[in-house]
Amino acid sequence: MADEEYLNKKYLIVDDFSDVRSAIRSILRSLEVTQVDQARDGNDAIAQMTSRRYDVVLCDYNLGPGKDGQQVLEEARHNLLLGVDSIFIMITAENTRDMVMSAVEYAPDSYLSKPFTKDILKRRLDKLFERKADLRKVNKALMAKDYSAAIAELDDLIARNPKNLPDLLKLKSEVCLTATRYDDAIVIFEQVLAEHETSWARWGMGKALYWKRNHAQAMEMFKQLIVNDPNFVAAYDWLAKTQAELKQFEEAEQTLHAAVKISPRALKRQQQLGDLALSNGHPEQAETAFTKAVTLAKHSVLNHPSLFAGLARSKSSNSKHIEALKIIGEITKVFPGQPEAVFYKATATAAVKQNQGDTAAAADAMQNAEKAIAQCGETTRSKLGLEMAKTYVQIGEQEKATLLLQHAIANNHDDEEFLMELVQVCREANFEYDAETAIREIQQRVVKTNNTGVYLIKQGKFDEAIKLLNEAAEEMPGNKTINLNAAKAMIIRMEKQGASMDDILTVRRYVDRVQALALQDWRLHEVTSRLKNMTPTN
Amino acid sequence: MDFSDILASSIHDIKNSLGSILNTLDALINNPDNQLADSQQVSLLQHETQRANSTLIQLLNLYKLGNAQLTARVTKQHLGDFFEDVIADNQALCRALALDLTYVCDAQTTGYFDADLIHGLLNSAIGNAGRYARTKIQLSAAKTQNYLVIRLEDDGVGFPESLLQWFTSQQQPEQIMVSTGGSSDPARTHLGLYFAARVAELHHTPDGRKGYIQLRNDYSLPGGCFELWLP
Repeated sequence: MADEEYLNKKYLIVDDFSDVRSAIRSILRSLEVTQVDQARDGNDAIAQMTSRRYDVVLCDYNLGPGKDGQQVLEEARHNLLLGVDSIFIMITAENTRDMVMSAVEYAPDSYLSKPFTKDILKRRLDKLFERKADLRKVNKALMAKDYSAAIAELDDLIARNPKNLPDLLKLKSEVCLTATRYDDAIVIFEQVLAEHETSWARWGMGKALYWKRNHAQAMEMFKQLIVNDPNFVAAYDWLAKTQAELKQFEEAEQTLHAAVKISPRALKRQQQLGDLALSNGHPEQAETAFTKAVTLAKHSVLNHPSLFAGLARSKSSNSKHIEALKIIGEITKVFPGQPEAVFYKATATAAVKQNQGDTAAAADAMQNAEKAIAQCGETTRSKLGLEMAKTYVQIGEQEKATLLLQHAIANNHDDEEFLMELVQVCREANFEYDAETAIREIQQRVVKTNNTGVYLIKQGKFDEAIKLLNEAAEEMPGNKTINLNAAKAMIIRMEKQGASMDDILTVRRYVDRVQALALQDWRLHEVTSRLKNMTPTN
Repeated sequence: MDFSDILASSIHDIKNSLGSILNTLDALINNPDNQLADSQQVSLLQHETQRANSTLIQLLNLYKLGNAQLTARVTKQHLGDFFEDVIADNQALCRALALDLTYVCDAQTTGYFDADLIHGLLNSAIGNAGRYARTKIQLSAAKTQNYLVIRLEDDGVGFPESLLQWFTSQQQPEQIMVSTGGSSDPARTHLGLYFAARVAELHHTPDGRKGYIQLRNDYSLPGGCFELWLP
């Protein structure tokens, strides 16, 4: 039975040495595996994974020049080249524990330290196949974003008290956090921590507290975790985030600085450090971080024009305007045909020109930025709006900046992380705008609209509720809560009074917006499944 | 490029070589038509290659210890499962040496430790026991006085009395190193013991309990018994 498992599966071996590839292939052959392909570097691996779906990928971390194994994994996950049942095993020479946590978002299914024997590989594969089979129903529910179903399946498995109980508890806590069921997650963390100090549980506890807006306690969790387990890099990321939330910006920068010392290869962290250093008035540190980020991003699917813009801005802050402009020139070469790249090129150019004292050129560049932002989709507009507002402040166009910020707040009134970024942008630009008061006022207005809508629905005044929420959704197309509630109000009316094709299409448009903004949003599942049950009546 | 990068890249190269030696040897042993190799010699080669690999990992970890970069990431482990992993890693070697490698523990035994670190440590210890065992090596685990005790025993002649006495007199892992003096024979430098003691020590609990190691003879098998006490 086990042998059949091996027999029918497709394997891909990724290593830059042909000797190593053939050694692994002969191990697989001795396990009766017949379908084995090989890739000699990262690009080759991605090409093969794009044209064929593999069940098992065995990938060396170290692949010579070009992409490394982690970047192959990132790209594969990012472009959905791996199915839920696929297994990605990272083969490493070094002890891998430090890598494990530095790549939380894109973790492989397993690490395998080399050299490994046939016995080890077989045992590892057996375990992974078994685990995937165990979690088949859970993964299916997760794919459908049906978190309640996933949690129910996990509870079923947990009740059997299996050998992999700790893994199941960990997975359940992660699902609870995604579904914003923080208190359920906290129950798990407390249970695990009561038995023994465990890093993932302490980390999770900190995250749950952070999301419950209990920042001071969250900070204590992350600090304690760093004392217990100084190599747990994700703890530094979260500590920095919490410190920034508590306006301890200098401390946040120091925390990230410590993190990049331990794990310098994480792209996002270097970018965050660069942004923070720039807004803290440390352009030299910012330049170092962005230089690193741009280098790391070279072969990465996560490469982004904002990295080049950040590097150019920091160079310009260090009075290296010519170098800055040279970097800006690269943006559209590295990202050809992307409106977002044109946008970042324009805003970065405006910032550098302003620093050089050429206000006319700066204003010209901003016009290009306006044109480019109109070409970008609704989903990126809030983020780009911040960049734009920041640059307007820099070139002295305060009013334009204020309008952009108000719009951005209205579209993201309940997105804490985004609003924190917005406050930081104002600080970075030295903008006299009272972002926090504005956030409070706009939040109140949006919440009031929302609550009135909900109240009207309860009163059975569907038409009034829908009119109010539809108008709000058109005014704030990027606001997930408003769009979801507008969709819900229409669904309730349809459930009670029958559906028209027009209404179904309007709801679909709201749902599409939210999906484009946040595919993972936990509220989506309910709306989409209710929408599926609608059939138009005349 | 700093030294840790150089070290990492060298280790990567060496490991590739060791991997290919091991796999070639494995193929030689399993090939019924092979007339070339004296199986005893091939086993010896395999044994030594694995020892070199364990020593390499130990070297890297010692380097990290020196830079205070080595920490134990403790997670809950199912001992039966963990032992099966360790055995899978050492099965080829023990088969080649005609040694029986087994484990004994209750099906429900669990413990908290860094599986990678302890696995590496047991690999070295098994490699060492393989030189002294007559017919078998046995792993076991038990809960004693709020500690998890992992034992590795063999049925050889046991540790020499002088080593046991010397070891008992050492209070701190540092002393294990200091007292090795100028000896260059790897079996006598006690580097492995020093490393094991340091790794055990990395396992500690908020109430101040720390891990440690102990040596004894005649526990359940007649030979040497290496004990790892983890809080």
